[in-house]
Amino acid sequence: MNNIALACTLVFVAITTFISMKQKLGLEKEIITGTIRSAVQLLFIGFLLHFIFETNHPIFIVLIIISMITVASWNAGSRAMPVKGIRLRIALALAGTEAVTLALLLSLRIIEAEPRYIIPVSGMIIGSSMIVCGLYLNHMKRELEASRGEIETLLALGATTKQAIRQAVRRAVRSSLIPTLDGMKTVGLVQLPGMMTGMIVAGADPIEAVRYQILIVFAMSASSSLTSIVLSMLTMRLWFAKDNGRLL
Amino acid sequence: MAPLLTLDKVSKYRKNPEWLFEGITAQVQAGERIALLGTSGQGKSTLLRIVSLLGKLDAGALVLQGRTSSEWKPEEWRRSVCYVAQTPIMLTGTVERNLRAVSELQGKPFDEALARRCMEGVGLGHIDWSKEAESLSGGEKQRTALARTLLLRSPLLLLDETTSSLDPKSKRQVEQFLSAWCSEEGTAFIWVTHDLEQARQVSGRVWFMAEGRLLEQSATEAFFTNPGSEQARSFLDNQHAPEQEDAGHE
Repeated sequence: MNNIALACTLVFVAITTFISMKQKLGLEKEIITGTIRSAVQLLFIGFLLHFIFETNHPIFIVLIIISMITVASWNAGSRAMPVKGIRLRIALALAGTEAVTLALLLSLRIIEAEPRYIIPVSGMIIGSSMIVCGLYLNHMKRELEASRGEIETLLALGATTKQAIRQAVRRAVRSSLIPTLDGMKTVGLVQLPGMMTGMIVAGADPIEAVRYQILIVFAMSASSSLTSIVLSMLTMRLWFAKDNGRLL
Repeated sequence: MAPLLTLDKVSKYRKNPEWLFEGITAQVQAGERIALLGTSGQGKSTLLRIVSLLGKLDAGALVLQGRTSSEWKPEEWRRSVCYVAQTPIMLTGTVERNLRAVSELQGKPFDEALARRCMEGVGLGHIDWSKEAESLSGGEKQRTALARTLLLRSPLLLLDETTSSLDPKSKRQVEQFLSAWCSEEGTAFIWVTHDLEQARQVSGRVWFMAEGRLLEQSATEAFFTNPGSEQARSFLDNQHAPEQEDAGHE
């Protein structure tokens, strides 16, 4: 894509701004800010990736993955109840998932140990896991409100905190995974994934693009399940007071 | 004799720094039957929840069998100090699943004979155990919840208006069964009730809460015949007044 074609994409921003003005939505400032931010962020990451691919040094791969996990933890943590230590646990769940998934992908030689594979695949895994973390915490928040009576009844009957919250956690894990599993069922029929579309637009063979997409879909479903389960285990005690084990 | 439970200056904020109640100091002896009385909003249910470690203690200490609450594992404390909520929550599934819950949580065999005895004792001997617990009436749920808790055979029960949904006959039956149970098992209880006749029937001591404090701890008969505080006298007069008015209308 040449620079003129890239500049022409601003016509879409103009359409959105026009609709906002015409319908008095008051979103013009948000649209302009969003446009500038997305352009700057994407250009920045483009140059950064270009630099990393050129230098091909492992430290840069590690640094970029750490920064992805940090931003993802912060973002997903903002969906949770204000419980101390929640972001650290999200970061641990994401890091664990990323480590396991990447180790499998590399050891089974599904992808090559090069930044151009590791970084985009990691981004997609961490990104989808971040969404699952947010969903899990959101569902858990609702569970703790809706199932408070059930949990306290079990506690009153002498259940440990783990026994008392087990059903609520199970429901929250299941709910957090539904969008990922639904996405797997309809991929290719309802939506054409961004990565595959991008590869095809960039000139790759559609079959080759699909092979990579299958890899991503499977890796993301595994990492989503892993993240949700690991996060549920790491946060199990956070919902109870430290002093007397009551439900917070 | 060492007390079963000691409340040492137990205090709870309504909203910091305003106290809901403050400095409650009292003891419960093994097998002792206590009625906890007071007008609504004094924090009686809150006090029971704190004692069962389901609520937050803002100041003071709880000591059970010589060990403070922090020295106990919370689940072990709650197996000894069992709270029965006013609004009974049935666990998902059948009546049997609810009755089996205690043994399943502790990984112990289910004592079916004891469960049948408890269900019959609270007047639910006729209930089909394969019935969904959620389909029971309010009164049946309240009694199932009580029977479920009794299966823990704890030394102390915390009963929060446990018979509030029952008709007078069922209420008397539960009172009689609980009295017999406590005599046989040596179980103590603290029973929050607004039914003064019930308090008189079931308890040996009365704790009376008013103005954010535990104003009285006296023998039940002494409390009803000669209350030690103006607040208690006023409370008893107000509780009796509607009955007298009703009698006047008849």
